[in-house]
Amino acid sequence: MTIMRLKMLAACAVAIVTLHHPASALEMPKGEVILTVTGPNLEHPNSKNVAVFDLEMLEKLAGRTGTMETPWTSGKVTFTGPLLRAVLEAAGAHGKSMKVRALNDYAADVPMEDAMTLDTMLATRMNGNTMSVRNKGPLFLIYPFDSTPSLFNEKYFSRSVWQIKQIEVSE
Amino acid sequence: MTTGARPGSEVIRRVSKATALLQMFAATLLLGLAIIFVLIINRYSTLQDGIRENALWSLYQLDREVRKLHEVVHIALVEGDETSDMWQSASQRYDILYSRMSILEEGKFDRKLGGDEDTGPVLAQIHAAILSLEPIFDEINKNGRTSIEALRGVDIALDPLMQETESILVYANTAVSADRAEARNALLTLQFKSGALVLLLVASVGGLIFLLRRQLRSVRAAGLTFEHMARDLNRSYLAAEAGNRAKSRFMATMGHEIRTPLNAILGTVELMQLDKSPTKIDAGLGTISRSGAALLEILNQVLDFAKSEDGKMTIDIKPTNVSEVVHAVIEMMRDRAVENRNRLSLELPGAARLPVISCDPTRLKQVLLNLVSNAVKFTADGTVEVKVSERLQLGGSRLRFEVTDTGIGIDPEGIEKLYRPFSQVDASIGREYGGTGLGLAISKDIVERLGGTVGVTSRKGEGSTFWFELPAVAVEAHQIATAGAEERPLPSLRVLLVEDNRVNQQVAVGLLTHLGQVVDVANDGREAVCAAGARDYDVILMDMQMPGMDGIEAAEHIRALEGPRSKVPIIALTANASEEDRARCLAAGMNGFQSKPVSMQKLRELIFSLDLPDTLPVVQVVKEASAPPVESEENQKCDFDLRREEMVAALGEDGFADLVESFFVDAASITRELYHNVESPDRTSTDRLLHTLKGAAASIGLCKLADTCQQRRNVILTRDAVNELETLIDDCRRRIAA
Ligand SMILES: Nc1ncnc2c1ncn2[C@@H]1O[C@H](COP(=O)(O)OP(=O)(O)OP(=O)(O)O)[C@@H](O)[C@H]1O
Ligand SMILES: [Mg+2]
Repeated sequence: MTIMRLKMLAACAVAIVTLHHPASALEMPKGEVILTVTGPNLEHPNSKNVAVFDLEMLEKLAGRTGTMETPWTSGKVTFTGPLLRAVLEAAGAHGKSMKVRALNDYAADVPMEDAMTLDTMLATRMNGNTMSVRNKGPLFLIYPFDSTPSLFNEKYFSRSVWQIKQIEVSE
Repeated sequence: MTTGARPGSEVIRRVSKATALLQMFAATLLLGLAIIFVLIINRYSTLQDGIRENALWSLYQLDREVRKLHEVVHIALVEGDETSDMWQSASQRYDILYSRMSILEEGKFDRKLGGDEDTGPVLAQIHAAILSLEPIFDEINKNGRTSIEALRGVDIALDPLMQETESILVYANTAVSADRAEARNALLTLQFKSGALVLLLVASVGGLIFLLRRQLRSVRAAGLTFEHMARDLNRSYLAAEAGNRAKSRFMATMGHEIRTPLNAILGTVELMQLDKSPTKIDAGLGTISRSGAALLEILNQVLDFAKSEDGKMTIDIKPTNVSEVVHAVIEMMRDRAVENRNRLSLELPGAARLPVISCDPTRLKQVLLNLVSNAVKFTADGTVEVKVSERLQLGGSRLRFEVTDTGIGIDPEGIEKLYRPFSQVDASIGREYGGTGLGLAISKDIVERLGGTVGVTSRKGEGSTFWFELPAVAVEAHQIATAGAEERPLPSLRVLLVEDNRVNQQVAVGLLTHLGQVVDVANDGREAVCAAGARDYDVILMDMQMPGMDGIEAAEHIRALEGPRSKVPIIALTANASEEDRARCLAAGMNGFQSKPVSMQKLRELIFSLDLPDTLPVVQVVKEASAPPVESEENQKCDFDLRREEMVAALGEDGFADLVESFFVDAASITRELYHNVESPDRTSTDRLLHTLKGAAASIGLCKLADTCQQRRNVILTRDAVNELETLIDDCRRRIAA
């Protein structure tokens, strides 16, 4: 009887622990941290309630490559990087919108749909090369101007934040 | 019609021209609008270029990053901070500034930013200044730090850089704002222009709609006109065709109608050539003459019809003695009726009720003749009855003539065809009975011209009644007289005038003599009876009131004579016969009345009526009796000038003067006697005197005097009254002398 109860308790404890540390828990970054994702109830935080990423972690996520013209570059350039959607999933972030913040403290509000319905990416590379801060690096939020030309307007330009350092998801 | 169509098409042409012009105008407007639209689109694309650039924002960011870098460096220098964090943040700020710089470099914006100055050189300068700092920060990146001197150099270099970025930012802001305002203005002008164009377009489309509506309306009107024209054309074509058909039918009928009597004539002539015995020739001539008459009748009818078709039929209205006309027709048809073994009967209202009306006697006879001849023609072994009656109606009485036969009759379909020219109820009628089928058409035309109506009721196999009605417009007596005079000469009769008053005698004798009558005068009843017994008279005109034997008594005596002289017509002459008087007259064997004073017309009428055996003088007399007595006669007859005219015509100026003279002599003696009667009253004598004076005065047209006398008869005579009478007589004398 008591043994049974103990066993049951142990099973419950195991279940609770499993809930707190999900199986797909985010690995720890090995290189320099270039992106921090914050938000309420992050599912996969890897450091003090936030999810941090280095370049390697980001480039492992599902991404895309698009060649397009932007107002900030001359001629056609090819951007490569993980989809914003994938980054948010990796961090286990849920919410209605997010604040995308740059190194110079410029920030733009981006609704969650932009990540979910559009193939918006966090570009890590321009023409195959990583981007330095001098060259709008390290991360650049790129809307799919190539596949959806109707996005080519100021509304999305102002959301196209570069030199991104942090994404704050909110309810 | 054609004139109606022309303006219609004219309108259409004008409107279509205007429509075409408007269309061209609208097309031009549309083109203009398209051009403006393209311009606006272009405007928008340059705006989008501007969006793409957003140079102002970049410049602002550049300025801001320069300041931030300067802040970091300056704080580090002031605080002597040489931690790796400081170096790292300084390096990052430089990197950001660098990226800002390159964005500006790469940006494809107009270096003038819409203004007049070229910011290119200044930007190049700024670029160069930023690049000049690169080695220092490259070193920080490499070694994690650099010397404080180098950092101070950066601080010093950033000061002018700050000023430059600020000034370029201010310039850019001004220029961009101005440019934006300008662009907005340009856009506004374009919008304004396009608005104006749209307005014009709307107006011209409105105009087009209006014109189209008008065009449509005219087209419809023109269509209607054409339809009308077509219908009219069709109608006239049908009419022409109907005319043609009628003509052919006419030719056929006429050919047949004329051939029959012609054949008879030619055949008879041939027979006469073969056998020249006098009896044959006599019989032949009879046939020829009858056939000729028939031919003439046909031709007359055709001519009549032609005239009535042309509206040229002449109607000659004159006083018409209806019974005379009816009798004449009956006489003419008697033989033919006998030929067909028909009994011909006539029903006239009491002769007294058949007035003399205003009508065309010849035409009336023609119509009646046609109806009676038809009835006789289409009846065998039967009866043909002619009936005349007077119908009182609102707006005057009408005379109705009916011809009823017991002949073949007509079925309802046949009745429909009646009264149309050349129409006989069916083709066999023509073959069997002959005739042109014109008679009823002409009759109808005549009756309608005379203001009447025609009609028929008939039953197949039983007989028909053809009738017509004419307005019975009674004729004034004097019209009858003049008309009669024109129509035929007055017969000359032997007249015995029985009259005691000398003036009346003179008047009547004068008038009768003027009318060509032979007049004997009897001064009273006794003389009259002697004269009537001694000689043959055609008529006796008998005054009623006479001294000695009066009119009634004399008439009784005459009727009591032996032999044919007792049958002489006696007409009572009376001024105002009461019913009782009339009854007495008739009881005494008189034949009628003649109102006094006599006039030329009345006498003429009287003589005419006496000449006709079947219309005894009763006609006029009774008719007049039915009118209210005295007044109406006075109204009608009492005009001295008229009377004088008549008398002068009958007696001559001298004769009239004699008459007037003897009147005044008589009047003088009568007034004397009246004065006498005032002294020693004698009602009978006074009444007689006044009566005589009245009669004589009326005779020569002194109505007022006659009136006064009449009034005095009913009151007691006074001297004053006689005085008044005398003055009145004097007045008259003066007036006549004047
Ligand atoms: N009393 C009648 N009874 C029967 N039919 C009649 C009588 N009167 C006229 N009709 C019919 O009407 C037709 C037309 O009559 P109408 O007098 O116009 O011509 P008609 O007598 O034939 O020729 P006409 O021109 O010689 O008079 C006649 O042909 C006949 O068919
Ligand atoms: Mg006839």
